[in-house]
Amino acid sequence: MPRFGANSRRDMEIRRYPVLVYALVPLAALVLQAWLPRALRGYAWFDLPLVVTVYFALGRRSPIQGTLMGAVMGLFEDALTQHAIGINGVAKTIVGFLAASVGVRIDVENHTIRLALNFLLSLLSSAIYVFIYRMLLGLNLEWSWIIELIKAIDNSLIAMVLFPLLDRLQIRE
Amino acid sequence: MESFFFRYRNPLVLLAILVAQIVGLAVQVRHTDSGRNTLDPQDGPGVRLIRLWANQAVSPPERLIHSSKLGTDWLWQNYIDLRHTQQQNEELQKTIDRLRLEQASLLEDAKQGERLQALVDFQQKYIYKTVAAQAIGSSGSDQSRLFYIDKGADYKLERDMAVITPDGIVGKVREVFPHSAQVLEINDQTSGAGVILATTRLRGTLRGNAIGQPQIIGVLADQRIQPGEQVLTAGGDMIFPRGLPVGVVEKVIHDPDRDAFIDVIVKPAAQLDRLDEVLVITSTDAHFSPQEQQDMAASEALKGPEAAAILEKKKAAAIMAERLPGLTDPNAPAPTPAQPGQPATTPATPPAPKLLPSAHSDRFSPGAVPQDAGDKSGSDQLAPKAPKTTPKTPPRRNP
Repeated sequence: MPRFGANSRRDMEIRRYPVLVYALVPLAALVLQAWLPRALRGYAWFDLPLVVTVYFALGRRSPIQGTLMGAVMGLFEDALTQHAIGINGVAKTIVGFLAASVGVRIDVENHTIRLALNFLLSLLSSAIYVFIYRMLLGLNLEWSWIIELIKAIDNSLIAMVLFPLLDRLQIRE
Repeated sequence: MESFFFRYRNPLVLLAILVAQIVGLAVQVRHTDSGRNTLDPQDGPGVRLIRLWANQAVSPPERLIHSSKLGTDWLWQNYIDLRHTQQQNEELQKTIDRLRLEQASLLEDAKQGERLQALVDFQQKYIYKTVAAQAIGSSGSDQSRLFYIDKGADYKLERDMAVITPDGIVGKVREVFPHSAQVLEINDQTSGAGVILATTRLRGTLRGNAIGQPQIIGVLADQRIQPGEQVLTAGGDMIFPRGLPVGVVEKVIHDPDRDAFIDVIVKPAAQLDRLDEVLVITSTDAHFSPQEQQDMAASEALKGPEAAAILEKKKAAAIMAERLPGLTDPNAPAPTPAQPGQPATTPATPPAPKLLPSAHSDRFSPGAVPQDAGDKSGSDQLAPKAPKTTPKTPPRRNP
């Protein structure tokens, strides 16, 4: 009976995807995040880049990759707004790192755990965003915790549909 | 040492990326003289470059999606869904005729207004030139109310140009890219536009709140501000020309931070959440634009005589009303102003005219007691107590 060390067992559980998926899915998330609010009459209480960051960070289980992916997605989101570049960047960097770190320790195949994690990380991302904007930068920002809660619920609902679809794209050996 | 970096590589990478971003954030924030922090109004070269990259990555797919949506809409509207088109055309033609008539009748007033403004050196700016643009995407964030249009530096757009629709103002150009531009909407928290309330003439600054409603801030509590009052641009912000519609007052709430002040929530005239096509004002001038002059000339040529006849008719009616004071009661109460949602109230019967007292009353004067008041015939008793104004005429001789 073969014996696996911690690293080799983790390597077996790492999900792998075609290179195009790594490039196109985040880009599609950014484009849809920018386009959908116009199609939905201004409704923008969801965060597709966050959902995609959490998905890949959980699947890849590499904190460095999760950190980098979160940073890139957050910076792109910031660049599309008029706000300072780096607020979403910091929030999603931390979310990517935490998702990947947690992904090493829990069963990411379980759908409920993934959704719960998505919900909690969405709230954390909003909290970090408000903290940086108001406390760290000292800028004026009106916000509503109800909206952030709705956003987290929306993200979980999107994840419920999106995660199984993205699961189909992984390479199975 | 190598093992330390290898062992803690994950937190070290996280720390490095976080520190880099926080330093980048610190560079973008300025401390003002008033002791508050604010973002740089003008992006630095590095920040602008990142915004440009993001825009270059996202804009082409957005244009593709938008074009395919437009194509589908065009196919549907022009070839499939043609019900009631004829009826709509007739209604539109009637509207054009009516507007031409109104424009022709107002033409002289407009010309006179322009001459008077030139005399007093008043710097009224008319919209001289606009560029039509399509909204192709948004920021994607509920904390950032801005959208992207498909025209940029290639159409000579510049920062701080006003963006409007025929219904009302929309926002201003914030950033210009080679083939697209960023428009900051009036309901964003970081926007600002000088506005004036049409009836009460109170001025204030318009900006958005947390849920994307435009509100006028810094207004002293005033009972006269009522829902339904129109809000117009004040023209003092050097972005929006004066007198453009902004919206109507929706409700008035107390400023939570300052007791003596109120926030006036405004319902925007332009439908900010469903913008497809907007106009960017690229040039303003103290004179009418060639297009406006052309429109006015066409109206004058087509409807001038008709409008003049209507104007003359109105003038004649006014003169008649002036010369016949008995037709209008100078002491009658003013008509009740129309409440929002209710038609103006008019009395069911016109009030009885109050006749002016005569300087030298005689027996023909209204209200004078006739000499033969004692001789009441039967017909006089039946008739109401009206002044006897029948002049004495010589009796007719029968042939």
